[in-house]
Amino acid sequence: MSRVIRAAVFQTAWTGDKESMIQVHEQAARDAAAQGAQVLCFQELFYGPYFCQVQDKAFYEYAEQIPEGPIVQRFQALARELGIVLVLPMYEEEQPGVLYNTAAVIDADGSYLGKYRKHHIPQVEGFWEKFYFRPGNAGWPIFDTAVGKIGVYICYDRHFPEGWRALGLAGAEIVFNPSATSRGLSAYLWQLEQPAAAVANEYFVGAINRVGVEELGSNDFYGTSYFVDPEAQFVGEVASDKETELVVRDLDMAKLRAVRDRWQFYRDRRPEAYEPLTAP
Amino acid sequence: MTTALEPALSVRQVLALERVLAGEPEVVAGAGQLDRPVRWVHVAEAADVGVMLSGGEMVLTTGVLLAGDPEAQAEYIRSLHRAEASAVVLGLGRAFPTPPEVMRRAAERCGLPMIVLHRPFPFAELTEEVQSRLVRRKFAAVSLSESVRTALTGLITAGAPLQRMLDEIASHSACPVVVTNLAHRVLATAGERSAVDDVLRDWERIARQAGGSEGDGWVRAELGGRGERWGRIVLCGYRGDAATGRLLADRGAEALVLHRMLGGTVHSWEEQSAESLLTDLVSGVVPARQLLPRARAAGLPVNRRTFVPLVVRDAEAAQLDRVLRLLGLPGLVAELADGVIAVLLSLARDQDAEALAAHFATRLRTEAGGGAADACKAAVVAAADARTGWDDVPAGLREARHVADAVAESPAGLDLPVVVRLRDVHLRGLVRLLRDDPHVQSFAERELDGLLCGADAESELLPVLRTYLATGRNKSRTAQLHHVSRPALYRRLEAIEARLRVDLDDFEQAASVHIALLAHDAQQG
Repeated sequence: MSRVIRAAVFQTAWTGDKESMIQVHEQAARDAAAQGAQVLCFQELFYGPYFCQVQDKAFYEYAEQIPEGPIVQRFQALARELGIVLVLPMYEEEQPGVLYNTAAVIDADGSYLGKYRKHHIPQVEGFWEKFYFRPGNAGWPIFDTAVGKIGVYICYDRHFPEGWRALGLAGAEIVFNPSATSRGLSAYLWQLEQPAAAVANEYFVGAINRVGVEELGSNDFYGTSYFVDPEAQFVGEVASDKETELVVRDLDMAKLRAVRDRWQFYRDRRPEAYEPLTAP
Repeated sequence: MTTALEPALSVRQVLALERVLAGEPEVVAGAGQLDRPVRWVHVAEAADVGVMLSGGEMVLTTGVLLAGDPEAQAEYIRSLHRAEASAVVLGLGRAFPTPPEVMRRAAERCGLPMIVLHRPFPFAELTEEVQSRLVRRKFAAVSLSESVRTALTGLITAGAPLQRMLDEIASHSACPVVVTNLAHRVLATAGERSAVDDVLRDWERIARQAGGSEGDGWVRAELGGRGERWGRIVLCGYRGDAATGRLLADRGAEALVLHRMLGGTVHSWEEQSAESLLTDLVSGVVPARQLLPRARAAGLPVNRRTFVPLVVRDAEAAQLDRVLRLLGLPGLVAELADGVIAVLLSLARDQDAEALAAHFATRLRTEAGGGAADACKAAVVAAADARTGWDDVPAGLREARHVADAVAESPAGLDLPVVVRLRDVHLRGLVRLLRDDPHVQSFAERELDGLLCGADAESELLPVLRTYLATGRNKSRTAQLHHVSRPALYRRLEAIEARLRVDLDDFEQAASVHIALLAHDAQQG
């Protein structure tokens, strides 16, 4: 019997305040666990609005230390209680004035496994992220969780194939791509890039996008979160483009092996020929 | 019908025309390009003909201005190529008694079909022949476009349902037509049943493919408006020419968008689709097995699953759908009758069906807050036992419906679990299941005959009897509930006993009347 990972992602709308947003996500973790989900990833900057629609120092307050801050600790306790691996995309303050767009990974026993810091930081209309974040500098970690090897690649990162590859080389079986992206900007890419990454790197991808229009701007976040397999097939349906939705799917790791036996991309790649790609 | 709608003739088709054959045409260059479309035929004796063209023309010339100037001949061909002419036809005669090698080589190099006519031939005849054919084809395309649009507009203004619109489109396309939402869920289909089933059987593979793979003859058109896409229409395996397929898909999409915007229907297409599927399942008119491809295409996982049939009364389908999404539970929701909603959950085999049904019912209560959702606070979630076989699902849905109905008939304030099952509704559940049995029906009539035959008496005495039995023959409670004095109640009970010729103090006789009354009520419900 092959290994099947019951994985979940959760998309939701901004509730209007941080505490109720956290509670909505706690409830989602409980709902996922009730279904037997073993791992759950939230949307980018999960407990806040997508404040990068504006450039306002007031939102620096949303940052907290990882893992010492209260939110990580709160969800560590929840992960332990529910026996579920949690991926928490958050605003990280390393020290005052040193801020990152980060995801913390908590194992099913509540232990903190580490963090990924978003490497690629956009600065375009409605996505003023350079105002808020330093580019990630913590490499391409893979988290060896209770259910499998998990990587995280945050939002705008997804347009850059190099990081997807780095996570694949490090052994990722599932890569989560928590995002906040709006209809007018990226809808035509949303079902193209992550499936392509899943195919090129022969792993599963869980893509998450928030829903709704928030008070800070006109970005229309279009949800449609999904899991896609290494053959670019969506696993089950794609989520709603408007409603809060928990997506729970069974990911059969036999498929990953079958695809890698069929296509030997990792064998046939030629890193020695790629030197120009890494020239600054 | 459709082959007549090619937007243009090909070079090959022009050369095969009887009148053209009379000129003894010979292809001397570009033989591999004869399937190029000819949009128009143009006679030109000008060295700079290229500037007069806009692409797709077959140019006819005698080359009278080119004779003796090899450079001009080569440039002439190159200019046609640049102008994307579809072919050049050279009438041999005074200017060129034989095919000019310079032109032939130039044409061959740029892949421009070059044809020489060995016999003198009036170009006017060729232009007339080709032009009239092209115009007829264009007219036919416009005419088809118009007739499809008129038919569909007529249906919209007549308030036709989505299905009727699709049937109309399918009658033109002669292939299965599918409408999906953005999640690739099939919302409606039309076309010959077996062909549609073939398409749906493979739907998961087709639809789940990111980027959308299409085989030959798959024509898609996006549905959307006001800057938002919300679905697509797909002609599956259209066998006519591509241009006509595109035209039909575009006209169809246009009409469906209007239909949705003007429809004013209270149910979304998603709801209508789930409704028709679950209604068919419950009714048993179509065997469950035959509905499996539709269920799969509607997004319900069906392989190695456990199905949990639920019926919720006094709720709204949209609210139930929202709660399913919140919980990440795959399922279909549809209104079977006014305020009676069926929910079919599809769970993995290792999941605890009872626990998840309870989880759903509990969240339904807590999520209800304000507005229309208030109704859900009082909503009763009735369930049948989980089914592992798809064939058992219709019976399960019917059982859940019976339970929901039995609860609805029960006296208020009954202490029921969050998810009600057949075992929780005891005798009412049994009576509900048996209500259509003629023996039960005649039993009820026989037992209650004395009360049912007099309409005036019934209106007063039947409710009293119902309360008296429901309260466990508690006279003071019954009097209280009916706002009558105890002596008045005694008189009514005596009247009931006299009419029914029973002694309500005798347990067996009272039980018999009670069961008859439950059966009577079940038949009314």
